[in-house]
Amino acid sequence: MSAHDLAIDVLIGAAVAGELLCCVGLVVMRDVYDRLHYAMAATAVPPFLIAAAVVVEEDWTQPGINAFLIAVALFVVGPVIAHATARVVRTRRA
Amino acid sequence: MNVWLWGATALLAGMLPCGWLAVRASRVDALVGLQVAGTLSTLALVLLAEGFHRSSYMGVAVASVFASFVGILLIARFMGRHV
Repeated sequence: MSAHDLAIDVLIGAAVAGELLCCVGLVVMRDVYDRLHYAMAATAVPPFLIAAAVVVEEDWTQPGINAFLIAVALFVVGPVIAHATARVVRTRRA
Repeated sequence: MNVWLWGATALLAGMLPCGWLAVRASRVDALVGLQVAGTLSTLALVLLAEGFHRSSYMGVAVASVFASFVGILLIARFMGRHV
């Protein structure tokens, strides 16, 4: 196994582990705000790890740029969605 | 099967807890589960595109990000007013 393959394996493994950890957090937490915290963590780091794996594999070609664009988009829209959801919770609890 | 496809399979398996949340918890909790499911499906599409060596499939993942975003915002707004 080359360093190139190892880097891709590690990046994808870390990203998938991070996402699955967030899924476990969704089920384990009892309050919706805690669950929201895990939901937003899923959009923060793991998408960039997957984008990095794609860039390692493809370099800065169309797939690599698209993967990076997806990671940035998830990172940007995540807090907007969290805010909208928290607002719904606040409205329903008031 | 390569590492990309294994990763996509694991991410799709991660949708099971989201489905459990949608079925067993409150509606707002289900909305949070939907958010995570949207993230998981988008990243799984990226991994599938790379795993099948079809770079054009990456466009589906790009569209998925924004479709998921708009859909969740619409549902949240609806829930805040009516449900």
